[in-house]
Amino acid sequence: MGFNETVYNLIFKRTSTMALACVASAFFFERTFDLVTENLFEKINEGKLWKHIKDKYQQ
Amino acid sequence: MLKPTNPSGYFKAVSQVVSNQLNVGKQIAVLPKQTKSFAPPPNNSFIALSRALPNGNVTISVGPAVTSQVRWAHTDIQVPSWDNYRRDSTKKTDVKNAETEESRKNFTYLMAGALGVGSAYAAKSVVTHFVSSMSASADVLALAKIEVKLSDIPAGKSVTFKWRGKPLFIRHRTADEISAEQSVAVASLRDPQHDNERVQKPEWLVVLGVCTHLGCVPIANAGDFGGYYCPCHGSHYDASGRIRKGPAPLNLEVPHYEFPSDELLVVG
Repeated sequence: MGFNETVYNLIFKRTSTMALACVASAFFFERTFDLVTENLFEKINEGKLWKHIKDKYQQ
Repeated sequence: MLKPTNPSGYFKAVSQVVSNQLNVGKQIAVLPKQTKSFAPPPNNSFIALSRALPNGNVTISVGPAVTSQVRWAHTDIQVPSWDNYRRDSTKKTDVKNAETEESRKNFTYLMAGALGVGSAYAAKSVVTHFVSSMSASADVLALAKIEVKLSDIPAGKSVTFKWRGKPLFIRHRTADEISAEQSVAVASLRDPQHDNERVQKPEWLVVLGVCTHLGCVPIANAGDFGGYYCPCHGSHYDASGRIRKGPAPLNLEVPHYEFPSDELLVVG
């Protein structure tokens, strides 16, 4: 049994397993996506955020 | 239609053939027997081909052996090529379609699944933002708690703070007051609560300064029981904030509070 056949029979064949796979993937996707977009936002706004200029105003 | 070869003679004959008793009419014109023959046109001639085609208004006859379709198409029409829309694996002539079925299905379902994952993420994010918008904002949360340095309050004194828009009484009780409140018979109270239920540390009483009758602010260290006295309608509270005399139905409310250290009290 090849890889494609295994994946198809285990996940995509039944709606229940596919929905489960979607939810499980969403769990990891959320963390990855949030991390990436947050880093991107901070990179674009480098030097403008409070955490970057905190040192100048707090003792 | 018969066409007489000699019409003038025919008319003459008619004028003469009118018969009577004396003159028996006799046939004077013999009509030639006419035969009509059509030579069939050659099969490949223009006429023959045009007869084979339907012309005029095409009508559909009804019947079991009659086809209702007229096919105008000819062999010069090309079958369109759908190669741009086919998966690469189905274009291979040396592989059976059934062998690549799972991989093609997997690709399709993977795309649908990716859409599902994205939708789940978006839906969760929308719901989370909506729900969190209903919770208190940061400026409200900042006012929700109050920190009190306990060393500033001498024994026997009640200090009033403003907390969430309401007066808050913090009372540093003396040993006499503690023992007096501990020994009060619970059964004799209007709102029966033992002193231990109302304080965490016996030295510190923390109550809201709102009379449970109509919401006036009681006066500290006044009244018949040495605790609080409401000037509006004369409710007397003891040093544990319990109603002892007057119209108020309930004891003074005790907010949630905790002692992070011995010197600090946090209410809220």
